[in-house]
Amino acid sequence: MTSAVIVIPQDPLGFNGLVADTGYEAMVGELVMLAVSEIDPDGNVYPELAVEIPTIENGGVVMDEDAWTMDVTWKLRDDVYWADGEQVTADDLIFTWEAITDPEMGIWVDGVDYTDSLEKVDDFTFIVHYNTVYTSYQTQFGGENFNVYPEHYCDPSQGFTAWDCNRQPLSDGPFILDEWVTGNYLTFSRNENYFEDGKPYIDQIIVRIVPEQSVRKTMMAEGDADMNMWLSEAEAQELSELGNVYVSNAPSERWVFRLIPNLVERGTTDPAGPVHPVLGDVQVRKAIRASVDSDTIINSVFLGYPKPVWTEFFRPPYICDIPRPEYNPEAAKAMLEDAGWSDTDSDGVRECHGCSTAEEGTLMEIELMTYGEYGEELELAHQLVGEMLGDIGFKINLSVIEGSVLWADYESGGLEQTGDFDLNLYDDGYPGIDPTDNQLWYYYYSAAAEPDYGWNVGRWSNADFDALLDEAYTLDEEYRKDLFCQMAEIMDAELPQILLWSAIAADAFSTQLEGGQSTTNDLPTWNVADWKITQ
Amino acid sequence: MLNYIIRRLLQAIPMLFLLSVLLFALVNVVPGGPLAGYGRTRRINPEKIEQLKRQFGLDKPLPVQYLVWLAGNDWMRIDADGDGVAESYGERRGILRGDFGFSFRSRKPVMEEIGDRFKNTVYLMSITLLVVALIAIPIGVISAIKQYSWFDITATTLSFMGQAIPEFWLGLILVLIFYTWLDNPVTGESLLPAGGMYTLGVDFSLLDRVRHLILPVTMGMVGWVAWYSRFLRSSMLEVIHQDYVRTARAKGQIERKVMLNHALKNALIPLVTLFALDFPYIFTGSIYVELIFSWPGMGRLFYDAAVHRDYPLLMGILVISAAFIIICNLLADLAYAYLDPRVRYD
Repeated sequence: MTSAVIVIPQDPLGFNGLVADTGYEAMVGELVMLAVSEIDPDGNVYPELAVEIPTIENGGVVMDEDAWTMDVTWKLRDDVYWADGEQVTADDLIFTWEAITDPEMGIWVDGVDYTDSLEKVDDFTFIVHYNTVYTSYQTQFGGENFNVYPEHYCDPSQGFTAWDCNRQPLSDGPFILDEWVTGNYLTFSRNENYFEDGKPYIDQIIVRIVPEQSVRKTMMAEGDADMNMWLSEAEAQELSELGNVYVSNAPSERWVFRLIPNLVERGTTDPAGPVHPVLGDVQVRKAIRASVDSDTIINSVFLGYPKPVWTEFFRPPYICDIPRPEYNPEAAKAMLEDAGWSDTDSDGVRECHGCSTAEEGTLMEIELMTYGEYGEELELAHQLVGEMLGDIGFKINLSVIEGSVLWADYESGGLEQTGDFDLNLYDDGYPGIDPTDNQLWYYYYSAAAEPDYGWNVGRWSNADFDALLDEAYTLDEEYRKDLFCQMAEIMDAELPQILLWSAIAADAFSTQLEGGQSTTNDLPTWNVADWKITQ
Repeated sequence: MLNYIIRRLLQAIPMLFLLSVLLFALVNVVPGGPLAGYGRTRRINPEKIEQLKRQFGLDKPLPVQYLVWLAGNDWMRIDADGDGVAESYGERRGILRGDFGFSFRSRKPVMEEIGDRFKNTVYLMSITLLVVALIAIPIGVISAIKQYSWFDITATTLSFMGQAIPEFWLGLILVLIFYTWLDNPVTGESLLPAGGMYTLGVDFSLLDRVRHLILPVTMGMVGWVAWYSRFLRSSMLEVIHQDYVRTARAKGQIERKVMLNHALKNALIPLVTLFALDFPYIFTGSIYVELIFSWPGMGRLFYDAAVHRDYPLLMGILVISAAFIIICNLLADLAYAYLDPRVRYD
């Protein structure tokens, strides 16, 4: 019997990636459940339960140019069965969507605001009626978190977030959950009725809960584990030197470390309100960008794994030719002088002398926050960025905050939502391949500055950007690319965020496991049915 | 004595009550909250967060939340569907009636969550404490009897090391030595497993269970053995110079009997008290041991509950731990009175 062992630090909450808080839910979800479509590591959308991806060309997408709406017809495979022998049909998909969008017990998911209704045509065909042009329609029922649930098995009265089938899933995926001993392990056996002939190739998957990072790494080294996901740079380097482990890097990055400046007065949330005394001036933000030596941080702290990033449009399919800004602390100092920030008392900290955003004599003092959960590398980078800013005349107060405090909602006192910060450093990036909703609207659109409605927590507002983004909701790919690059230029000029370097996206696999491939578009178990044990 | 026990138990009630108020306040004033995990995602919009707060009762003022936790909500109307209208009576009975609520994360009853882990922690910690007693007592006795001998000097040196070594570091070193470096000469596999309670997919085997216990028990016991053996050595040294020990010798009793029957019995009294005070660890477990050796026990449950702000689970663990501590303190006092006839509480 062939068996693969996956080590993760904590129990998943269940198998439902949409109500998850750790990411391990989606990882185990991939073992047991299928979606309509998925995205491969190179960013290509491929059908899973669907027969093909609907497009305008194949007649699957019908646009109404006048009303600016569209209908998408999905055809499902007729050879996929649940583990109890029932067939997977369009009813299951419609049931899942209705459970998700239930006003009392559902949740918000991508596309929900754009979807008018789902219409069943026959057991394996359904039409999605949209009230607009939805650019992410291809992955609306797929991607890293979405799975289809069985209508005859899940109890809708329990609600999508809490129903028992989140923890006791009925499988239509490559594996079936056998046993879950919380805090200890989960075991899965091969689904003999999996729709792909001969797959999966492995008989058993064991997910072991191993909280300590160094023990997980040691288990990989000793050959007692076959997959350790989401490696740090140090782990990736150490494991890649072992003969029995290979480290798989995702073909493209997703997460980017960035500085998020608060453009309005600290503690306020109105983009039209008083500006931040230091960071409200774009010249100051440009000086910050010029003073951070990303290459040094990449090589000395992150062991050379990340790549420098300076625009949101750095990864396929949307890449814009924005020149890389120069690291030049002397130029940064000159910018600050020009902006009216000078150090007249020679104490190493600049004061406002003619600046446009603060009272005369105001110290150029800000708090630089990051979050503690990422680990040692980010804390070191945090200190280095602080020192670099100190070198050009900032007085920097460093703070390491718990992520749940930094990103809590407004009422819970989340520091970003309430505007209680100056400059934050952390990693972020959009899922899938469409940045419009999950990155551009969410982080930069002016309406997303309202507390709890988005994460434009720097409270940036630019009417030209908003207009371009409104235009970008189209299926005309060439036009979209052009619009995105116009946005990139505006963002490069105004710096609502200062992008610095990408985060590592790598997973470790044992050499006896064939087929493991890291991806930023899904979980590392995205192709678990293709894995083979070779020794 | 009975009066004393009743008095102490009655005193424990207001103490537990005050402690629960304090713990509830502390747990709730920490920024973040159980719904903070939904931050940075669009899946839960503000209206949904408000709805969840109403469903969980988190929209109520803290004193009301405490009251519900304590006495349940079956006497008041609640907003079960979170639509802003309190339409039905609740189902919770409160901890006073044995209902600790449900975990915000897993939605399982708190007592079920605790029950799953409790037995694992008791299993590990009771064996650890037993091994501590079996090793620390002989070391302490021999060190005292043979004061300044090579054994005493070696034991003293090792006990200082044992107290000084950080527990977390020790665990990692044990993994390095017994899992990574040393192999079983017969099978070629690691000498001892890196964690877990047993080997998956293998029928029950006592040897397998023992192999999985060795490293976590060793990590957990080193500090305790060091501390207990030093404590017993001091206690023995004090006792063996007492008049009654000299009298026993003068009566012609052999040295072994003098030491075991007269000296050790009395020297153990403070140690029993100390042991009773450490007994709550049987319930609470050791976070470090459980984290390093992937032991699914109470320590990790507490750690996870704290990280995810799972208030009901956190409060359940804290209050039960507090009750254990209070009870064990009482047991320590009673044991002291039982073992030392000079002590009277009446």
